[in-house]
Amino acid sequence: MSETTGFTLEGKRDYTGAKLGMWLFLLSEILLFGGMFVLYSVYRYKNPADFHHASEELDVILGTLNTLILLTSSLTMAVSISAIQKGRRKLSAFLLVATMAFGLLFLVNKGFEWTAKIDHCIYPNSPTLLTRMKGEILFFGLYYVMTGLHGLHVLVGVGVLSVMLILLLKEKINQNHFTALENSGLYWHLVDIIWIFLYPLFYLIT
Amino acid sequence: MKTRTYLLVWVGLIILTGITFSVAGFHPGGWAVLVALSIAGTKSGLVLSYFMHLKSEKELVFKIAIPLVLAVLLVFISLTFSDVAFR
Repeated sequence: MSETTGFTLEGKRDYTGAKLGMWLFLLSEILLFGGMFVLYSVYRYKNPADFHHASEELDVILGTLNTLILLTSSLTMAVSISAIQKGRRKLSAFLLVATMAFGLLFLVNKGFEWTAKIDHCIYPNSPTLLTRMKGEILFFGLYYVMTGLHGLHVLVGVGVLSVMLILLLKEKINQNHFTALENSGLYWHLVDIIWIFLYPLFYLIT
Repeated sequence: MKTRTYLLVWVGLIILTGITFSVAGFHPGGWAVLVALSIAGTKSGLVLSYFMHLKSEKELVFKIAIPLVLAVLLVFISLTFSDVAFR
């Protein structure tokens, strides 16, 4: 029974339910970011030239590097889950730490990027920014809000993964019970997917 | 899923990132956004199917709920654009 439906009465665990709950949360996240992408698209449609000029000021190399970092962190996350499923706890913990390190590296790069922009007096409502074209003001507003909200998600992700690491080391997460780690992985991958869209839309406008 | 599969998916994702990056320099006009978005869509598809295991998910509810939300998002985007474009 438990093999086919993922539900056991004895342990009172419902894996499918847990995963479905996580997915419902992720779907609400998709709609949250989706709304922002719609806002972005409409403003870009109305101010194509301004968006192009403003985009050229962003650091493409740093943006690309961050894309590679986040994609690699998704790989280590996925392999960490498959490692615990095979009972390889140490490997799983190591890969989990690597995932968190990539996440933090992403945030450090993001920090450098934002600091550089703020040093050039480009931040929401800054006097320098307000003298520029309307579309450029909109672009940088969206840039700060969307990459900021995404960065916040990465930070939360690192927090969740550190709790998972503790549970893993305490063997609360093990070969038979790994749904919590799997669900954290789902969250991590979703944050990666959001970045996959943010990257070309902000850094690569031609 | 096998580690080898994950590695191949990762290589695919890196290659697609390289393509997006280099195509952006070519200025193919109005197609640029479409190309960038289709590559991003393909990358998301890879992450969803393999890393997020949707390919091996057997429960029907996953196969319904996720496309449903994406469809809602699509309706949401197309209605907004039909409003903005013909205002």
